[in-house]
Amino acid sequence: MKKFVHAMLILSAIFCFSCQGTSPRKEGGIVVLSPEVAEIVCALGAENQIAAVTEECNYPPGLAAKQKVGNFSAINREAIIALKPALVFCSSLEQEMIAAELGKLGLKVEVVYPGSLEGLFSAIGRIGSLIDRQTEASKLIGTMKKDIELIRQSSKGKPRPKVYLEIYRNPLMSVADSSFVGVLIETAGGDNIFSSLERDYARVNSEAVIKARPDVMICYSQDSLEGILARKGWQNIPALTNRDILFEKDLNPDLLQRATPRSVLGMKQLRLIFDRWQARQ
Amino acid sequence: MKRQALFLLWLLLSVAIVMLYLGLGTPDGNILLQVRLPRLVLTLFAGMVLAGIGSIYQLMLANPLAEPYILGISSGSALGSILAGLSGFILLMPLGGFLGAGLTMLLVWHLAHQNGRFDKSRLLIAGVIAGMFFAACISLLMYLHQQDTALILGTLMGNLGRIFGQGEWYFFLFLVGLSLAILAYLFYCSHAIEIMGTGDLYASSLGIDVVQLRRRIFILSSIVIGICVSYAGIIGFTGLIVPHLVRFIFPSGQKKIYLVSLWSGGVFLLACDLLAKHLLTLELPVGVITAFIGCPVFVLLLRKS
Repeated sequence: MKKFVHAMLILSAIFCFSCQGTSPRKEGGIVVLSPEVAEIVCALGAENQIAAVTEECNYPPGLAAKQKVGNFSAINREAIIALKPALVFCSSLEQEMIAAELGKLGLKVEVVYPGSLEGLFSAIGRIGSLIDRQTEASKLIGTMKKDIELIRQSSKGKPRPKVYLEIYRNPLMSVADSSFVGVLIETAGGDNIFSSLERDYARVNSEAVIKARPDVMICYSQDSLEGILARKGWQNIPALTNRDILFEKDLNPDLLQRATPRSVLGMKQLRLIFDRWQARQ
Repeated sequence: MKRQALFLLWLLLSVAIVMLYLGLGTPDGNILLQVRLPRLVLTLFAGMVLAGIGSIYQLMLANPLAEPYILGISSGSALGSILAGLSGFILLMPLGGFLGAGLTMLLVWHLAHQNGRFDKSRLLIAGVIAGMFFAACISLLMYLHQQDTALILGTLMGNLGRIFGQGEWYFFLFLVGLSLAILAYLFYCSHAIEIMGTGDLYASSLGIDVVQLRRRIFILSSIVIGICVSYAGIIGFTGLIVPHLVRFIFPSGQKKIYLVSLWSGGVFLLACDLLAKHLLTLELPVGVITAFIGCPVFVLLLRKS
């Protein structure tokens, strides 16, 4: 009987200790599953409210210290629930199912997926009101709109270079005007060669690229300059003959592919690239 | 007479499909020579390999459902190809595919032996199991690398729109030459394969080294399938449907069946690729088209026979 009591005491002690977390939990914080929203929240000065993020949330660098709750498409649901967050921000696409599941568990979930500049402004406004940063949000939107107007003005009346953005090589994939990155290219004064595709990001034909003769190529498909120059039938494309090819090291893809306040910086860099192209005409 | 008329009709249709494939949309000389012609060569090659090997496997394995992918080589090749692509070596995907096919071939060949003796049924089972295992590996990769779904789906559903680099093109032509030599050798073996299809005992009594022949066919066919999947991805149904359709017109004579299968396989895939490119403004994976055509045709054949 004595042994049994001792064993029960030890087991109870182990049970109590195992129930304690290894680190103190910050209840009522924000969990952000989308890198875009993480950037917006931080731009509104609310980085300290973020309790956890996903592995893709890499900007601003301060987010590296935050707890990780999985990656974009493989979210650790239990880790989120354990944090008891006041608000969870999800993206669209693969994350919509997770958003619905977390919603069923009583968590407040917001899905944010801006697909245009107007969508980005309204997303910033909505996030601002949800995290009590309305003033900062209005100020940020105002500054962004002013900067974008300046970019638009500076491209007015100038020749528009035809731009080809490659996001995948095998199979070949590009973007439509309706995609967020397509909007940025057009706003910065470029002319996306695939104005209409059946999806925002879609498979395209090599022949269509050759026929379109793009002046600038943005290559996010991991191919090299030598690889692109060696492609059969691509030799006469102006972007290749003039070496107007940009890679990830030249133009950070996060500035174009993420809908964030940094998109303005992406457009400014595009404008500079287009100006350089125009100067040579 | 009826067969000759059919033959002539198919010949005319083949020429028309090739002309349409090359000339649709009046492309300029650069596009015709540098883009369409390489794609035509890849498509014809893939169709020929799939249908030709399909006709041999159906006889050799005495199984009407046998197709080039049944022995797991394609899944192994696709896995190798995808692994190379996901590691950032997009240009080395064919090499990865070829390595995958080679390793799968060794594995299946090893599993097909029991106490040093080759067994036809074990070959089939080992092939199916290896194929399922590699397919599971591909599913895992697809789950872990959702951002690369396009690359994985391109390999799993066929991708004939490959952009060749200049050096890559010459290497591909060399591999096509090698594959054609293998296909020619398999043609030379047609008679022996046909006899083998009637039973090992009968074939042995006629002096055919059945084990040796089967091994040779397995290794050689694995090489050409490996090359085909490495460049074109997995394209289902061509290797199953085309030999059956050909047998519907020529019920016997493996030599004739094999040759017509090679030709018809190439033309069938060209027609499917034409549809894949032009049915919608968005280019569809060719494997979807072959399946959509293949399934009803197979049901029709099943009802007729």
